Amino acid sequence: MSKTSRVVVSMPKTAKKGEIIPIRVIVQHDMESGFRHTERGVLVPRDIIRDFVCTYDGVDVFRAELHPAVGANPTFSFFTVATQSAMLEFKWSGDNGYASSLTSQLVVT
Amino acid sequence: MSTSRRTFIVTLGAVSIVPWLNAQATPEEATDAIKKILGGAKPRNGRVNLEISPLVENGNLVPMTVAVESPMTQADHVTAIHIVAEGNPLPNIVSFYLGARAGRAEVSSRIRLMNSQRIWALAQMSDGSFWQGYAETMVTLAACTEEVLI
Amino acid sequence: MIVRNVLGRSSTQARASWFSLFGMTWSVAWLLLPLVFLTSFTWAQTSLPPRQSGYELMSPATRAMQDDEALNPATFWILDGQTLWNESAGKKNVACAQCHGDAATTMKGVSASFPKMVNGKLLNLQGQINMCRQTKQESSAFQLESKPLLSLETYIGHVSKGMPITVERTAENAEPLEAGRLLFEQRLGQLNLSCAQCHAERAGLKLGGNVIPEAHPTGYPIYRLEWQTVGSLQRRLRNCMTGVRAEPYALGSDELVQLELFLMWRARGMPIETPGVRP
Repeated sequence: MSKTSRVVVSMPKTAKKGEIIPIRVIVQHDMESGFRHTERGVLVPRDIIRDFVCTYDGVDVFRAELHPAVGANPTFSFFTVATQSAMLEFKWSGDNGYASSLTSQLVVT
Repeated sequence: MSTSRRTFIVTLGAVSIVPWLNAQATPEEATDAIKKILGGAKPRNGRVNLEISPLVENGNLVPMTVAVESPMTQADHVTAIHIVAEGNPLPNIVSFYLGARAGRAEVSSRIRLMNSQRIWALAQMSDGSFWQGYAETMVTLAACTEEVLI
Repeated sequence: MIVRNVLGRSSTQARASWFSLFGMTWSVAWLLLPLVFLTSFTWAQTSLPPRQSGYELMSPATRAMQDDEALNPATFWILDGQTLWNESAGKKNVACAQCHGDAATTMKGVSASFPKMVNGKLLNLQGQINMCRQTKQESSAFQLESKPLLSLETYIGHVSKGMPITVERTAENAEPLEAGRLLFEQRLGQLNLSCAQCHAERAGLKLGGNVIPEAHPTGYPIYRLEWQTVGSLQRRLRNCMTGVRAEPYALGSDELVQLELFLMWRARGMPIETPGVRP
């Protein structure tokens, strides 16, 4: 697995103050579980994303701790309250120095 | 049978079976993982709804949604949701950390399930209490894969 | 003697009244016959037996995974393919985009027409991409089943989503098409089963809890949940052969391309679903 990869974030661009908005994220990652073997019987080492965090204006609003049983190309759908206009940042980190991130601006009226 | 022969036979049985015991997690391992999460607290049944299709076509990518009934206010909200499997090689699947800013304690993801089994969802509340729910599912195998099935 | 019908009219009178209903004369009626023939002929050519995609047999959750681009893991391969399309490569230092422009327009219907005969050789889309790599970009061919090749194939295939498969029998492809058909009907492996025995004769029946699909290649390259990645039709066909305990044909072999041709011809008229999701 390379040190970084593509991520796609789906969330509204605008919201009303106090509105609960849905956010969906998906990241390209094989999530090698560490339980698979090659054709010759050699164990393929574990190589997974370990953490995902969504920050809203720098404050953690959602975090996930991943284990090998999270499926390949992990996706999370969650909610957050639109408190004020801000930048949301999405960060993934994992084995072998893996790191990906994306930001998205939310305008709250 | 003499005591020494009996001892030998029992030891022979144990020696041949023990290596196989670690091949797959058991409900007991899941219980241990859950105990660790609870840290001594007693979980109550209810408020947690774990949705996994009762019949799964392929255990490699199983859609899952967990929702917890909670007002999600500063005074009363869900702080964490832990998903634990009874029949996977490792019991812990994923843990979600929420808070009052989530607005709604509902998370969806896609997980790996090795076998037909029961999966637990434990929700930790802001007052330190735990609530739990579970889902049972049947996992089927895909047809014609790369491995030759015996 | 005049023969009278039930209404008491003579045959000539009856005919006359029937025709006058439609304002017709015999000469007009004869002239319309070729038109009737042409309509019926066209209809007979284009009306194919109803076919069912494997999509219909999947659970609602898996179908949702295919339909929603935000949930379909193969979307990443589309994005990677788009990057490669615009990237210069080889000694000629040209990108696909330089000759072919915007794939969203120029590649419409292309994947739906492969495999086809190109300069006397039967090529599938992967083969065509590699031919362009080697001749137009003067670069090395992509390894079969490699990520870049699959990404380009998925990107180009996705452009034809919804369009009907247009592989037809022609004078040029008749021979490999027939070879493909024979392969489809050939018993293989320790289980001594042919593709046709399961997928033509027993489609819709069950094999070990799974409903047997008709096996149409409408969604390739697919994200197969079993592989946990995107793969080609050839990879899937090799899995089928392992399933009947036969030694699979090698990737890129003549047999596999001929089978691809036959399967696409068999699925002609069905809409492309690329990128599909399958268990």
